[in-house]
Order: sequence, then structure tokens, then C-alpha cells
Amino acid sequence: MTAWRTVFAKELRETLRDRRTLVMMIAVPVLLYPVILIASEQLLLFGMRQLEAEAAAVALTGDVSGLLYEVVGTREGLRLVPIGQDAVEAVRSDSVSAVAIVTATPGSADAASVRIVYDAASDPSLRGRRELRAAVDEWADSVLARRIGAQGLPTDFARPVHVADTSVALPQEVGGYTLGRILPLLLVVITLLGAFYPAIDLAAGEKERGTLETLMTAPVPARAIVTGKFVTVALIAVVAAALNLGSMLLTFQTGLLQLTTALGLEVRLPWSAVAVIFLTLIPLAILFGALFLGIAVRSSSFKEAQNALTPVYMLVLIPAMLPIFPGIDFGPMLSVVPVAGVSLLFRDLMIGEARWGLATLVIGSTMLYAAGALAFAAASFGNERVLFGGGSGSTDDGTGWRARLREAAGSGRVPSPEAAMLFVAGVAVLFFWAGVALQLRLGERGLLAAEWLLLFVPALLFVRLGGFDPVATMQLRAPSRRALGGALLLIVGATPVAWGIGWIQTFFLPIPWEVLEGLEDLVTADSPGRLAWLLFLLAVTPALCEEVVFRGVLLGGTRSLTPWRFVVLNGLVFGAFHLSFETAIRFLPTAWLGMVIAWAVWRTRSLWTGVLMHVLNNGAIVVLASVPALRTAFMDPDAPPPFWLVPVALLGLTAGYRLVSSVPKTSTPSTSGVA
Amino acid sequence: MIRFDGLGKTYGALVAVRDLTLEVRPGEVYALLGPNGAGKTTALRCLATLLSPTSGFASVGGADVVDEPLQVRARIAFLAASMGLYERLTARELIQYFGRLQGLEGSGLEERVDEMVALFEIGDFSARLCGRLSTGQRQRVSLARALVHDPPALILDEPTLGLDVLSGRTIYDFIERERSRGKAILFSTHQMEEVELLADRVGVLAEGRLVAEGTVPELIALTGAPSLTRAFLDLVVPVGAGAAP
Repeated sequence: MTAWRTVFAKELRETLRDRRTLVMMIAVPVLLYPVILIASEQLLLFGMRQLEAEAAAVALTGDVSGLLYEVVGTREGLRLVPIGQDAVEAVRSDSVSAVAIVTATPGSADAASVRIVYDAASDPSLRGRRELRAAVDEWADSVLARRIGAQGLPTDFARPVHVADTSVALPQEVGGYTLGRILPLLLVVITLLGAFYPAIDLAAGEKERGTLETLMTAPVPARAIVTGKFVTVALIAVVAAALNLGSMLLTFQTGLLQLTTALGLEVRLPWSAVAVIFLTLIPLAILFGALFLGIAVRSSSFKEAQNALTPVYMLVLIPAMLPIFPGIDFGPMLSVVPVAGVSLLFRDLMIGEARWGLATLVIGSTMLYAAGALAFAAASFGNERVLFGGGSGSTDDGTGWRARLREAAGSGRVPSPEAAMLFVAGVAVLFFWAGVALQLRLGERGLLAAEWLLLFVPALLFVRLGGFDPVATMQLRAPSRRALGGALLLIVGATPVAWGIGWIQTFFLPIPWEVLEGLEDLVTADSPGRLAWLLFLLAVTPALCEEVVFRGVLLGGTRSLTPWRFVVLNGLVFGAFHLSFETAIRFLPTAWLGMVIAWAVWRTRSLWTGVLMHVLNNGAIVVLASVPALRTAFMDPDAPPPFWLVPVALLGLTAGYRLVSSVPKTSTPSTSGVA
Repeated sequence: MIRFDGLGKTYGALVAVRDLTLEVRPGEVYALLGPNGAGKTTALRCLATLLSPTSGFASVGGADVVDEPLQVRARIAFLAASMGLYERLTARELIQYFGRLQGLEGSGLEERVDEMVALFEIGDFSARLCGRLSTGQRQRVSLARALVHDPPALILDEPTLGLDVLSGRTIYDFIERERSRGKAILFSTHQMEEVELLADRVGVLAEGRLVAEGTVPELIALTGAPSLTRAFLDLVVPVGAGAAP
């Protein structure tokens, strides 16, 4: 037996003896889902019957005609009660569910306007309103019929056109459409949960129990161990998903038959599509299995792995929910987005509209991501720092990320990567909630306050209270002339590239017109005074406040990583920080600029280089938007960047790179307090 | 059989082991003695191919730990201090599993497992899940697991840690028996009596450095101390730190 099969056989045996996994894999789908769904259905039916069982108490006030009294009084489902108080009070105090206030039209014998008072937050009141509205409509029809009769006109005089619907959807298509919205999310979550606990148990659990060390001394390559474990996790995830899928659909088919009949719907399940859906679950299970295994092995305990995987779980929910929203068009772009593609393919399979080209893209890209995740997992298993924490040689030496965070917070000259990332995450959340509120309430002054109070001040406090060396962390060294010259050339080259990236993006991600207008209004000055204010607000302020956070704390804390890693990380985090509900398009250009600035700051060892680049980039946008001639030439969102900017960009980037690279290296500050 | 040649291991700025050179010959028991954090576990993990040396070399039976890790692993029995077992495998299944990972299969595997079960007197509980075994029983299963492929070198990281006297006795007997079968045995410990009882030679590690090496009488003679404990303290406590006024 090959090594991976030996590992697989052992892992499968152990997993099948784990009560927790069995409960999640078998007991939940086979027992719990039908019970929950049927119980929900019964409760829903019970509630509906309860509501319908009693006649709704309603009242009529105002210029009520005898005919209206008669219609309401004799209508089944309504009980007319007198009210001795204000209509609103009567409804609020539950004396009645709804009240119709009738106001006769002056000069007419039978015309009137009717206002129905009800409580939109009460089911009985909503039902009372529905019934009362139907009674008033019936009364209105009677009045109309009487008028038409009096004129000797035919009864259909007021309704000359009759409209009727005929749906061409087959019952299984109706079933597919209904389930196609909710089933993808459920299936993704179930597959994910199927992989969740086995991955933790087989990776972090093994570390926690102290068996991984023993296993890694067997004459077996790490990749064979990972493969054996990964196949186990993926198999369990697929089996769990299949059991869940089968159980859920059978429950829908049989248990909910009563409800669909009660609602007058004919629903059948598209079983042929279900088989294909099951096959597409396999690459998804493979992706989750590999990804979770790679992450879980980096945790030192079961609990820590749960904490590490929970954000991944939450992130996966976002693309998995796409089918719920109407109007999401499934095209090539979405088909290669992890999880989103699979989720939307499930939906299209359920409604019988799957396209094989897209399906191939979905499965191919998911397999590609799975292969990447598997390589990540294999690298994690072969990494001694991951297996033993890179500490003093003891298995429980407390060198997990929490311990390192504590250590960094108290003793290092610069923050650890974890502490820096945690700080930036905290600041981003603060800025997202408080910063947006400040901007909405105070406008430009709010933006100014947010930048200084929510970015600059917290960064200084973090460095001060964390006991870090401000000069080493923020790189507060005066830059050389060569560094400044190089930075200047770099940003001259980088800004047009950012523009080009933004322009290319518009082919895939159209900019909402109102967003564009809003941004243009914000950056456009119509007087010299206004221009000076905008330059201070949008160029100088962010250059200082954002640079201390991103090229100060974040770069200072992550310099212990390899350069390409911390540069890419810095750009991505900087880009993500500039994301908002409407401006997803800013992510890539901003991330690019963030990477260029991060590289320049790291290479010149001076934050001021970054400040200069930031000021120049933002200032250029304000000036371009504010000078009419420049605005006409440069600010057309549909036009590509002028071609002559291509050599400018190339020249700027090349010359800037060479100049900045030639800045003499000085001693790099230590990243730990140990040195 | 076991050889360290100028081996060093650092974690960033922290030097865990520096320039370690020693050799353990077949049929020899070598004790690595040192205080907590001296680098004993790191050195053994480098030898077991779990950690990569930052400098220098280590080998087992001529196989280099960096260039030929799989050959090294096939030649060693590694017993970690944690002595972790798979809780949901039976004792027999666990021994079989590691036998298979070592390349044993079929009747050869079963015969070897039977031998281990008999040798470590596991028969009574071989069908019981490891999670339900007592500490002493777990320790015997661990030893059987480590020895299932009959390797020529044994690496034991604090093998008696947390064991009572009777369970410790099993380890002593095991080491004596394997020495008589010509195995090279390297073990780390804090226990002076263990060293006096078992070790042919002793290496004293302090702050990652091998500060002394020799037989127990040689170490005592080297320091002029009345006992191994006192000699050990003299060797590992920095000069002046523990001196009387």
C-alpha cells in the first residue's frame, strides 16, 4: 500500500470513530433536517390556521354607508366591532385589527375616500387589513355596478379588458427556480461544514495531541501525509454534502408537499440536475479540504484552528449567497470567482439553464484553486516553523501567534506582523463605521476629522502605548536627495499605470455614474482658495495620516517577512482599505500604488518618501480635475489614458526604480526585542 | 552510527544549538544532559529530520539529515517527550500503522507486530483504543510503535518525563535490552540517576553549546565535584552566578 493510502485508511478509520464527525456527517442530515423542516412547516401551517380560525375584529368610522356596513358585517372572516376611541389608539391597543375611516365626497351620493388604519408589525392586523380591504373593494364594486346599472350599460363596461397569466414553466422548473435560490447557499455551507471539523482534527488536532511530531519522523514524504489527510477530508465533505443534499431534497419532495398544496403550487424537483450538482460538489469539497487543512495545520490547537477558520467560513458565505439576489448574471467573470462560480452554477443547473462552457470554467478554475490550496497545505506540513512554532525547541513553548502578539506588544522595537495587521484591521473597522458617519454628518470637515482622529492619532497611540520605537517603526529618517528624486520619478510612472488599470477595469466593472459624479465634485475646485483647501484635505492630509498607518505601522511590522511579501501585502491592504460599497473599482489601482509606495519607503528607509509620493499622486488628481483645460483633456472616464503617457510611465518607473535602488543601504532595524 | 558535526540551529536572533559535535557508536548509550532551554530537544529534532540545521551536519548510519531525510527516518526510532498516540486507534492498529509507514506489509508486518505485542506485554490491551489506556500502557505502546521497524538508532527525548517509578523501570529495561542488541541510543534527560544508571557517555549542553563530554566518572573528575549533580551544576551555571560569598 502506498504511503498516502496508508495515511488515508488510518485517517478514515479514526474519523469514522469520531462521534463529533459522525453527528455532523450522518445524524444531522438524516435526522435533523427533516425534523427541522417538517417542524417549521407544521408551525407555519399551524400559525396560518390559527390566524384564519378567528374572524378579524375590524371597525368602521366616519361617513359609513349602510351598504358598506352590510358588506363588512356579512363577510366571512371579519367581525365588526364598535370602537369608542381614536382609530389609531384602537389598533395600537389591539381592540381591533384594522379600522376603515370613510370620508364622503361632497356633492356625491355614494362616492367616498377610505383610509385603512392598521399595524404593519402585527400579523393579525395585516390579515385584518387584507380582509377589510377586500370588503371595501367589494363595496366599491357594488357602488360601481349600481351606477353602471342605472346608466343601462353592460356589466363589463368598467372592465373592458380581462387579463390572465399562463406560466410556461413545468412543475420541475418551478421547483428548480424556487430551490435554485436557496439550495446553492445550503450546499456550499454543508460542504464547508463537512470539511471544517475533519480538517481541524486531522491537522491542528494532531498537533495538539502530540502525534504529528511522531508521524513526521516516519520515512514518508510530507506530501504523502498531506495527500492522505486531504483525501479523507474531501471524501468526508463530499459524503456529508451528498447525504445532506439527498435528505434535504427528499424532505422538500415529501415533507413540504402539504405546504405547496396548501399554497396552490405544483412543485417537482429536477432530479437529473441534482446528479450533476453532486458531481460539481466534488471540486468544491476538494478546495475546502485543501484550504482548511493548510490553515488548520498552522494553528497549534483545535480551538485556535476554529478561530482561524471561522473568518474563512464567513468570507465563503458572501459569494455563496449570490444566487439569492435577483439579477445576478452568471458570466465568465463570475464563473472563475471561487465559490461564487460553483454557487451560481448550482442555481443554473436547478433552473435548467446551465451552459457547459461556463460549467467547464467553474470546475476548471475550482480545481486550479484546489491545487493551489493543496500546495499551500503541503508547504505548511513541511514547514518546521508551522509544525513547531519556530521557537525554542519545546512543543508547548507558547510561540503561537497569540504569544508572539503579546511579546510584540510589550517588548519589540517594532510591532510583529500580527500586531501590525490587527492594528490596521481595527483602524479600518473604526474608519468604516465612525469615519463614514463623520463624513455623512460633517461633509469635508468630517473627512478631515476622520483622517486625523481615526488614522493618525491611533497610529501614534499604538506606537506609544505598545512601547515600540517610533523611529524604527515609522522609518522617520530624512530621505536623501537621491531617494526623493527616485520617489518623484516612480510616482510619475506609477500614477499613469494606476489610471490604465482603472480604465481596463471599466470593461469588466462599469463605474456607477452617480459615484463618478460624486467623486468628481469632491476633487474639483472652482477657485484658488478652494484648490488650496482641497489640496490640504485630499493630498496632504491622507499623505500624512494614511502613510503613518500603512507605510508606518503596517510596513514597520511586516518587514520581517520577505520583501515581495510585505510589499504585496501592503498594497493589497491599502487597496482593501479604500474599498467601499460603491467604489470596488478603486481596489486594483490603489493596491498598485500602495505596492509602489511601500517598495520605495522600504528601499529608502524613509516614510517621507511615501508622503511625497502620496501627496503628488492625490494632488495631481485634484489639479487635473480643477483646471478646466486639463479636466477636458484628462478626466473623460470613457477615454483611455493618452498614449504618450505610456513612455512617460515606462521611463518614470525605470528611472525611479534605478535611482531608488541605488540609495545606499543602512542597517535595518531589528524586528524583535531579542536581538 | 549517530553523528553531529558542528551542527547549529538558530531561530531568528535566538541561537538554540551552536557548533554541536558528538558521536554515538553502535551498542552505546549517550545521554544528553542539560537544563531547560539548553537545546537538547532542538538537537534531537534536527537529528530526527523534524528541524533543518542552520549550519553543520548530522547523520545516522551515514545518511545526512538534510540530503537523505527519508533514509534517516528509516534508521531511527524517535520517541518524543509528548508520547502522543492516536486516541481512536487500538494499540495493535497503531503499531500496524507505523509499521506500514515504515514499509512493512503483509505477513512480515503481522509477525513484527506480534513480536512487539509480546515484547512489551501489550496482549491484554492490544484491542483497546489508545485513548482508554493508562499512562504505563501508553508508554509501552509508544515504545512498540517506535521500534516496530527494528531501527539501528534510537533517539529518545526525555523518555521518562512524567512517568512513575515502575513505568520508568520499563524504559530502563528497554534501553538496556536495546544496547545489548547493538543499537546506538541517544537520549535527553534532566535526571542524574538515569544518566548514572544507563549512560556510557554523557554530553552536557548549556545555552546550546556542548560544554563537557565524557563518562560519568570523567565528568566528576573534570570538575572535581563530589557527585554528578554537583558536576553538572558546576558545568552549566555561569561562572560567578552560583558562587558562595
